[in-house]
Amino acid sequence: MNRTARTRALTTCCLLASCYTAFSFRLVQLQVTQHDEYAARAAETHVNRQTIYARRGVIQDVHGEPLAQNEPVRTVIADGTLIKDREALADVLAPALGMERSLVLEKVSREVYSKTHKKNVPVPYIVLKKDVAESVVSGIQEQLAERKMRGVFFEQETTRVYPNGHMLCHVLGYVNGENVGVDGVEKTMEQFLRGHDGFRYTERDRTGKEIVPYRGQEKEARNGCNLRLTIDMGLQNIVEQELDAAIKQFRPKSATVILMNPKTGGILAMANRPNFNLNVQDKVPLDYRRNRALSDMVEPGSTFKIVTAAAALTERIVRPTTMINCENGFMASCKLRDHHPYADLSVNDILVKSSNIGVAKLAIQLGDQKFYEYVRRFGFGERSGVSLPGEISGIVHPPHRWSKISITRMPMGQEVAATPLQVASAMCVIANGGQLMMPQIVQDILDEEGHVITHFAPQEIRRVASQDATNAVRNALVDVVSPKGTAALARVAGFKVAGKTGTAQKYDEKTRLPSHEKYVVSFLGFMPAEDPAFVALVLFDEAQAKPGQNYGGLVAAPVFSRIGEKAARYLGLVPSPEEPTGSIMAGQNSRDR
Amino acid sequence: MSTNRRRHANAIPIASFVTWAFVGIIACVGGLGYVWTKNQLYTTGTEIKMLERELADLRNKNEVALSKISQLSSTAKLQERFDTGFIKLVPITNEHIVVLSNGAAPQNKGELRSISNQGGNE
Repeated sequence: MNRTARTRALTTCCLLASCYTAFSFRLVQLQVTQHDEYAARAAETHVNRQTIYARRGVIQDVHGEPLAQNEPVRTVIADGTLIKDREALADVLAPALGMERSLVLEKVSREVYSKTHKKNVPVPYIVLKKDVAESVVSGIQEQLAERKMRGVFFEQETTRVYPNGHMLCHVLGYVNGENVGVDGVEKTMEQFLRGHDGFRYTERDRTGKEIVPYRGQEKEARNGCNLRLTIDMGLQNIVEQELDAAIKQFRPKSATVILMNPKTGGILAMANRPNFNLNVQDKVPLDYRRNRALSDMVEPGSTFKIVTAAAALTERIVRPTTMINCENGFMASCKLRDHHPYADLSVNDILVKSSNIGVAKLAIQLGDQKFYEYVRRFGFGERSGVSLPGEISGIVHPPHRWSKISITRMPMGQEVAATPLQVASAMCVIANGGQLMMPQIVQDILDEEGHVITHFAPQEIRRVASQDATNAVRNALVDVVSPKGTAALARVAGFKVAGKTGTAQKYDEKTRLPSHEKYVVSFLGFMPAEDPAFVALVLFDEAQAKPGQNYGGLVAAPVFSRIGEKAARYLGLVPSPEEPTGSIMAGQNSRDR
Repeated sequence: MSTNRRRHANAIPIASFVTWAFVGIIACVGGLGYVWTKNQLYTTGTEIKMLERELADLRNKNEVALSKISQLSSTAKLQERFDTGFIKLVPITNEHIVVLSNGAAPQNKGELRSISNQGGNE
């Protein structure tokens, strides 16, 4: 080889070597030095974090009937960059989604300015419709496949469904658009119902299809826990039916019925009016959504007399047979009147005849501080702690804020504001022998298979009254629901019922005086009196009864009777052999308060 | 050139050919095997994805069906059907119910006791 040839060969080799060295450097730069940057850019394009949504827990009644559950739905998404024939796509989607064709066309034709392309480009993520049923989606998918159309995706979501619609609406509550509970049990038990979303890292090819072999890290979703309430839908249905009938008859401004198990404090049924449909609650006024059993306070009226009587008997200031002078119907020192003039009444008869003067004298004998203590011990003036949102504490003023006549007004349920739940809980104390139980709405937290994770045992808050005192009050309350008492219409054929009527005058906002037209009427009772299965409160605010008939004994007591009769049959209660099963006539005393 | 040398120079290196051929075949089979395995991996992945989708669809359909069942068997719906006469049930009034109390335990063995009707007015 001559010199020239050798030089040429060497030069070529050097050039090639330089070239390959340059390539090698670039390769090292790409693969090593800038590896992380390019890997991140590649991952951004091809790898995505796919969320695996957790299923929200189901809410059941005490027997396992679903009260709130999930239904799979889809959100229809259009990718404008992949759509070729928008007109044809609108023809397919508009009728299936129940939308105007022009609206679909307008949505899929949307464009945004792209800085990269420096022109308007189609929008890659357009929400066409939410909450579309699975059956509709299947139909659309078939049509799209048939016509070989691309650019429409269906995102999996769930919607909350309440099979019973209006029933129990204030207790269950509802969720917002993000499936987060905003009212009722849905809100208070959110942490248990919610569950935890999982995720999966997936890699996609350039057409957007997932490359399954390259699946990355994965974490399973943990579904929410199920809840079992203390509510019995059989009893709830009875309550709702009777409440609807009463609403038709009396057209009150609002109404509340609560059924409680006095031994456990479990709420068996709770209904308010006005109510709303949980499945269609977009335009429901805020006032309809309130759970009045917890968030409204009323003057309890004569139902409060049980507190005074139980306190006096527990303190052994009086005995059930102790006679109290009822001043022939007018107590001049504090301008207090009875509906009928009575000379002397036993403590038992004070409750039976609902004597205002009688209970006032009992409270005076107790003294301000002692009476106040008992009112508080019965749970008035404090939240009960039930697992429902919006509960208020009511108003019970301490003795140093009382007027001179407060000690005569409070014992008959005036100058006190209580929630219907507090009133029902107070009666549970009499029914169960003197224990204040915490009202309970959630019985169990269950896992997906239905195994109990947490059981909420009945919780005694405190002992309020003695067994003897509550027995004496109970006996008196049985007489209240007798022909000689004020609540003869509350009787249930075959059963011994104990109860107390309440009729409280509302204050007229204009005159600031007690109104003679607006009343809160109620009946608070339990049955069977010997071994109570339930305590019930029936309360109507401004019932439109005939003049002179707007009393708890005439409006609320018959509703209790009908609920009691049906509930007794539903619960399989054995009638008392001592009680007649014939028809019941109202006594004249039903007009008393 | 002697005959022996010529024979030696024209000899075909069979062993070498066989070796290279074997290496080539191994490389080809290896390559094809790799492609086939990769292809199988993708096909299986696609099948997994399809099955996952079918499973999700079935789960969804199941949940929709369960939701419909519980809506149709809910207390509110049953009450509505009862009210409209769809469920032809007749409410039993109190007068038509006889409640039998638990009889007292017999004092003597073999003693017969009548059942008492404590319901009252029948």
